[in-house]
Amino acid sequence: MNAVFYMLRKTVKNEILDTLRHPLKLLIYGFMAVTMVYAVISGFFASDEWITDNRQDIRLLYGAYLVLLHVISVPIMQKGFSTGTSFFSMADVNNVFTAPISDKKILLYGIGRQLASMLFLAISFSAYGSIAVGIFDLTVQQSLMLVGGILLMLFAVQFITLFFYCICSGHPRRASVLKYFVYMIPVYSIFVVLAYVFSRGFTYENLLAAVSQPILDFTPIVGWMHGFVLGLLSGAWLQTAVYGGLLLISFSVSIVVFAKIKLDFYEDVLSQAESYFEFRDSIRTGRMSENVMLGSRKINVRKTGINRGHGAAAVFFKHLKEGSRRSRFMFFNINTVVLLSVSLLVGKIIQDLPMFEGATGEWLEMKPTIIYLAVTVICAYVQFFFSAAGDWVKELNKHYIFLIPDSAVKKLIMAGATSIIKPFVDGLIAFGALYIIAGGNMIDAVTSMISYGSFGCVYIAANILAQRIVGGSGNGGVFITFYMSFIVLLMIPGIILGVVSLANFGAAGFFSISATLMAVPVFLWNFIISLCIFLLCRNLLDNIA
Amino acid sequence: MINVSHLTKKYHRFIANENLSFMINGGEIAVLAGPNGAGKSTAIKCIAGLLRFEGEIEICGYNNKSLEAKRLLGYIPEIPAPFELLTVWEHMEFIARAYNLEDWQDRAEELMRRMELLDKRDKLGRELSKGMQQKISICCALLIKPQAVLFDEPFVGLDPHAIKELKAMLFELKAQNVSVIISTHMLETVEEFWDKVFIMMNGRIEAERDRRSVEKTGENLEQLFFDITERSRSSSEPEKADNAAADDGESRRKKK
Repeated sequence: MNAVFYMLRKTVKNEILDTLRHPLKLLIYGFMAVTMVYAVISGFFASDEWITDNRQDIRLLYGAYLVLLHVISVPIMQKGFSTGTSFFSMADVNNVFTAPISDKKILLYGIGRQLASMLFLAISFSAYGSIAVGIFDLTVQQSLMLVGGILLMLFAVQFITLFFYCICSGHPRRASVLKYFVYMIPVYSIFVVLAYVFSRGFTYENLLAAVSQPILDFTPIVGWMHGFVLGLLSGAWLQTAVYGGLLLISFSVSIVVFAKIKLDFYEDVLSQAESYFEFRDSIRTGRMSENVMLGSRKINVRKTGINRGHGAAAVFFKHLKEGSRRSRFMFFNINTVVLLSVSLLVGKIIQDLPMFEGATGEWLEMKPTIIYLAVTVICAYVQFFFSAAGDWVKELNKHYIFLIPDSAVKKLIMAGATSIIKPFVDGLIAFGALYIIAGGNMIDAVTSMISYGSFGCVYIAANILAQRIVGGSGNGGVFITFYMSFIVLLMIPGIILGVVSLANFGAAGFFSISATLMAVPVFLWNFIISLCIFLLCRNLLDNIA
Repeated sequence: MINVSHLTKKYHRFIANENLSFMINGGEIAVLAGPNGAGKSTAIKCIAGLLRFEGEIEICGYNNKSLEAKRLLGYIPEIPAPFELLTVWEHMEFIARAYNLEDWQDRAEELMRRMELLDKRDKLGRELSKGMQQKISICCALLIKPQAVLFDEPFVGLDPHAIKELKAMLFELKAQNVSVIISTHMLETVEEFWDKVFIMMNGRIEAERDRRSVEKTGENLEQLFFDITERSRSSSEPEKADNAAADDGESRRKKK
């Protein structure tokens, strides 16, 4: 065990020294620290006026807290059935597992590491806790209880996962039964909330009442933790004692089972560690590989052959072939479904909202043009999360694109072509469906769709720019910081132009096509700036460095 | 012909390659040998046009970054990286299309047959072992009928049959007047066919020999390698030598 402590000590020390040696890394950590400290200070010392203006119902906090507990615990528990633990690295597998150290000590070492990594989470959550102080009128102690509850949950869920693993290892039938049992935890909560809302009507007040029902605390672990923390928060000591007792029994059983059972978790951990290693490496370098994206999914090869394209164009047709293997419907994939759902949901919600007419002082029905405008903004934001791992980024991992004897700009455009087309296909489906439910002027729908697609070009351009400037650094954190900064810098002028256009032409009586007034300058700007970046960074594919 | 003139590659203050100059004529097989971190892979990547550098590199008379040079150059990287979602055959097709090759199918089949990949024709890149992936790299590089080929540790991960076949291919390349550079630690594998050897230490070429001069002295490649690297190590300051022995070229670059 001394060797393990030595390794932990050295790892921490070297991590600190490494940070000190990299000014940019230090700067980013410093920025994050300052942001968090600011959030804490502004939360605790917010003015009374701000607190009064932004005060929210405490039941909203209860609901959000329950959702958060589900989100952090259920996926980890599900993992327990197949992989046992998620806290070992490849280096651990290769060096610690093969060392003459008992299995249980190794497992405790893994848990210790996991706890250390939670310290960072604790600091992050403390910032949110301070915000809750202001918004929900909590005391500092209550805010710390909320943060402590999350940490306790993160810690507890590791033991529960371990428990599941211990009793399910080698018993697939038992594992599948327990798997459904874990799924039932969120299903039960959703059912309880929906049943309440549907029986009494879909209003904000009923929603708040639904998410704060005591029966939501009946679910094992997640509900118990919720009941325990809320009991502490509200001074309901009996509730605290009951749920605290249930949690204590669960942990004790888990520990006893772990201590008694003979574990052989190495093989299960190995495959998990390998895929996690690949995933972490791709995050670190900012370069996603197909294996990371697809996991262990089996792909059936139906037809072999790229069949089209010469020179740089071969890269584009290769991407089409790869796309058809990833998803049978090529450009139509889960991202399209998410976007379609978001556009319809947001569209419907905004459509149901009343619109204040300043000139007459009346509340009127929402205009479709405003719906298109709002949906474009939200969908463009959602698109950001889909755009990080485009085909062209994966191309940078291989040497082939650099060696192809064709012009660099042609290679760049061809490599990025599928990533450029995809948002337009998604936009066509999402805004087409929105037009059916929202109606209005078709020009608004078309310009909004083009505008949405043009944001895809900006995201690619920002990615190219970031690759050009810091892509060789091998540091994913630095890369993401630059990438996001470039997105903001590239988008701002277009948005300003759009606002100016809306203000001027809208005042001239064209308010009925507000979405078009805003969208046209935005997409024109987005296309021009993206093209400029493509041309300026054309040498990106000249060499790997 | 591969002509390298005053090649220097720096990563900030760290010099990975310092003023390398050499020429490999058509039909010659040159070996880049040296301990880990000597700068062999960096030099190969510079010649392949994958890295920025100072100096000049020509492939058959063309600047190595030019399209003409790219058309004539084959490169087998140290770590194979196939396209995960393309089949083995589609790798061949992709290269043929990207390089605008004509009548390539028979040659592709022949290369795949020799590398025992024919039965893996419809397997995806992600389903192959490391050795198989290395075989795809070799087939892709040789499909274009290159006039200059760069092999970076080509024998690592290959099974004995593939090693034997690769050796035969190297003899054929030599006979076809192709310039070949091989970076390797496995000196015994190149013993039969090398023409020139460049022994690198700390980013520099410590010694350059041709086969005839070495054979005259009765030495072999391995003896020569140890003589030069041990001598060089003892004459250079200890810290520098330790650094070189500890890390490979890539990890040194990252450290800096």
